[in-house]
Amino acid sequence: MAEEKFEPKVVAFVCNWCTYTGADLAGTSRLKQEPNARLIRVPCTGRIDPVFVIKAFESGADGVLISGCHPGDCHYNTGNFHARRRWTFFKELLNFVGIDSTRLHFSWVSASEGKKWVDVVNGVIDTVREQGPFLKYKEIKEHDFQEIEN
Amino acid sequence: MPDLIEIAKGLLESKEVSFIIGYTKDRFGRVKPYIAKSVEDANNLMFDHHSIHNLAVYLTRLKIPENGRVGIVAKSCDIKAIIALIQENQIKREQVYIIGMNCSGVVTHSTDEWKKENIQIKCKYCADKAPMLYDAVAGTAEPFEQPDDTQEVLMQKLETMSSAERWDFWAKEFEKCIKCYACRQVCPMCYCEQCLAEKNQPQWITTSPTPAGNFSWNIIKAFHMAGRCVGCHECERACPMGIPLTLLTRKMGMVAGKEFNYRHGMAIDQPTLVGSYNFNDNEDFIK
Amino acid sequence: MKEFIINTDEIANLISSLPADKWDILAPAKDGKSFDYVLSSDKPIINSEAPPSKISFKEYFFPKSETLFYYKREANEISLTEPKFAEKKLLVLAAKPCDAASLPILSKVFNWDYKDEFFNKRVNNSVIIGLSCAYSDESCFCTSVGLDRNNTKGSDIFLTPFNDKQYVLSVVSDKGDSFVKEFLPNLTEFTGTKETKEFIDNKPFDYKKTKDWIAANFENKIWAETGEVCIGCAQCAFVCPTCHCFDIVDENCDLNCGRRIKNWDACQFGVFTKHASGHNPRNSQEKRYRQRVSHKFDYYYEKFGEVLCTGCGRCTRGCPAGIDIGEIVFSISNQ
Ligand code: SF4
Ligand code: SF4
Ligand code: SF4
Ligand code: SF4
Ligand code: SF4
Ligand code: FES
Repeated sequence: MAEEKFEPKVVAFVCNWCTYTGADLAGTSRLKQEPNARLIRVPCTGRIDPVFVIKAFESGADGVLISGCHPGDCHYNTGNFHARRRWTFFKELLNFVGIDSTRLHFSWVSASEGKKWVDVVNGVIDTVREQGPFLKYKEIKEHDFQEIEN
Repeated sequence: MPDLIEIAKGLLESKEVSFIIGYTKDRFGRVKPYIAKSVEDANNLMFDHHSIHNLAVYLTRLKIPENGRVGIVAKSCDIKAIIALIQENQIKREQVYIIGMNCSGVVTHSTDEWKKENIQIKCKYCADKAPMLYDAVAGTAEPFEQPDDTQEVLMQKLETMSSAERWDFWAKEFEKCIKCYACRQVCPMCYCEQCLAEKNQPQWITTSPTPAGNFSWNIIKAFHMAGRCVGCHECERACPMGIPLTLLTRKMGMVAGKEFNYRHGMAIDQPTLVGSYNFNDNEDFIK
Repeated sequence: MKEFIINTDEIANLISSLPADKWDILAPAKDGKSFDYVLSSDKPIINSEAPPSKISFKEYFFPKSETLFYYKREANEISLTEPKFAEKKLLVLAAKPCDAASLPILSKVFNWDYKDEFFNKRVNNSVIIGLSCAYSDESCFCTSVGLDRNNTKGSDIFLTPFNDKQYVLSVVSDKGDSFVKEFLPNLTEFTGTKETKEFIDNKPFDYKKTKDWIAANFENKIWAETGEVCIGCAQCAFVCPTCHCFDIVDENCDLNCGRRIKNWDACQFGVFTKHASGHNPRNSQEKRYRQRVSHKFDYYYEKFGEVLCTGCGRCTRGCPAGIDIGEIVFSISNQ
């Protein structure tokens, strides 16, 4: 079998009011972006429980992107401020257990920044592609579903 | 310095508190948590270097009447947990009568001798610190030789490893986990009525004690301690599988200190770290 | 009972001569601060004075997580696959009498109505070499539950130290007999007398009598007093050689496949008895702790004729709240 080129799966958690709309704008403006990101729309970055990120990796994501409104622009005023503090811890924690910043990315993308969205998402996909598949996490997940000899 | 038993008797006699959470010795001399409810019970209270348990955990496990008050025997590291619980609105300051103990360091096992090698690492960072918040103080602190921070060595080693090596280190540790949740139950800061690990609609954390299920559990437990862990090391003491859980919480504590110059459980009127924000928080990592 | 003399070299030879593709060896090894049973250990620690391991060896017979079957959906067909079962043998070397005895106790519950094929297979595929015990601390109480330092219950072969370098090897079961014939055919027969240390039980009780008190005292302050200190961590049940509760859950790998698994569970958890309706019949730690003692010393005895406890003291040594089950039953026996 010919070796297939690795195409990463990136899960992007985006807030409804800014980044999702920004990504939408990128689409309607017909800006070209790589198709590897699966967008998951959430009300606000404040709603992104880090457990979502763990679940994404567990379900086979090679990289995760989290994106929302710029500080001061959050539809709920402070959602992203709280989120930002949590991420500071979360990224350090993941790094400490071996999931470094090449797998987990953050950005602020407003509703008018269609171009920025495309740059961010393509950048993330390229970084993850360079890293290759996130085999370590897949291994522990697959361990559970392999027909292991008891 | 008034004696612990005298203070306790007075409180129970005057009915100022409905009970006192403290320590007692069983007939083999092993120290264990104890709830003194009467003046006679107060005679069984004691405190020494085997009083390792962080009794603050009982403040949320036992029902404290809304307008009632309970007594608690607490060394200075336990007082941090009490302050943290007040900061997090789990108890009110008036609900606890804190009998702060002057402490001379604690050792892990009932059979361990009180000497440098056995004294808990956390005591190194608390030596000579008298109780910070209290209604009464008892006991005398004796000087002790400070333990070596063996954890710091490991911590530095981990920091210099590559991501892949760190992953392998933790994968090996987490694999041992049997999901007994002792680390959660013993933790004074884990007081949720329903833990995320017990939710199954949707099921965020797989219940199986398998590599994947353990990874998500241990990561989420550690993350929920971000900016909240008071460093009592109870989780690690309780873990029957010997997983170095406090490495994770220590890391979270280091982030809190470095990024936000914050330490949890230091002042009852200080807003909690993850419950508040600052417009100018660092965001270098956000594109 | 046939008895032989075996020396440490012969034990070492035995370990190296067992074909690795057919046999796993589980033996105590020194891991950090505590003794643990470790698989395929090169340097087993055969030391009768060692304290019991922190966690019992039950996970090699009743794993903490075990797949019952895998399912897959293709079009409208659902197919089930059974997990592969390695027919590998397990030699447990130097098991404490309080560990070995747990297997026949557990066998009863795993065979009274449904026969747990996984458990049975593992037990049948194992050979347990027990080791006479010379350890004791405040937490042990094996003699109160009908065992003792030299009890061979659950062992196929039993070792008793004779001198620095030699053990008396007793053949206990037929399985043990065939094992000795196959792998240790050249041992010299032993005819002398063995001596062992006396066990001082710090909390002697008569397990046949405590049962009645427990049955008659469903409501008693003992439960409340323990329940308020117990933090419900279930460490006790997980390290215990005889606790055997499990939870059955399904986990999916994607929309069309998954597996059904059996995971350890314990009555000390609040959610253990929680109904889908939200009602929880054991809604306080007091009730849950009562269940722990009642199941071990009353219900199990009633149903199977033996108590669900080998007196190993693990639950006590590890309890973060300093609760001592032996002491509780001892105080019950004095009521
Ligand atoms: S996480 Fe561990 S060290 Fe931190 S407060 Fe909880 S029990 Fe104490
Ligand atoms: S792990 Fe998290 S959800 Fe569970 S009890 Fe602790 S703080 Fe609550
Ligand atoms: S105490 Fe240890 S074994 Fe138990 S759930 Fe926590 S990490 Fe896992
Ligand atoms: S180990 Fe101790 S505190 Fe934990 S559930 Fe058992 S008796 Fe209770
Ligand atoms: S209940 Fe405790 S003493 Fe009895 S078998 Fe279980 S762990 Fe050992
Ligand atoms: S709505 Fe976009 S971050 Fe809150």
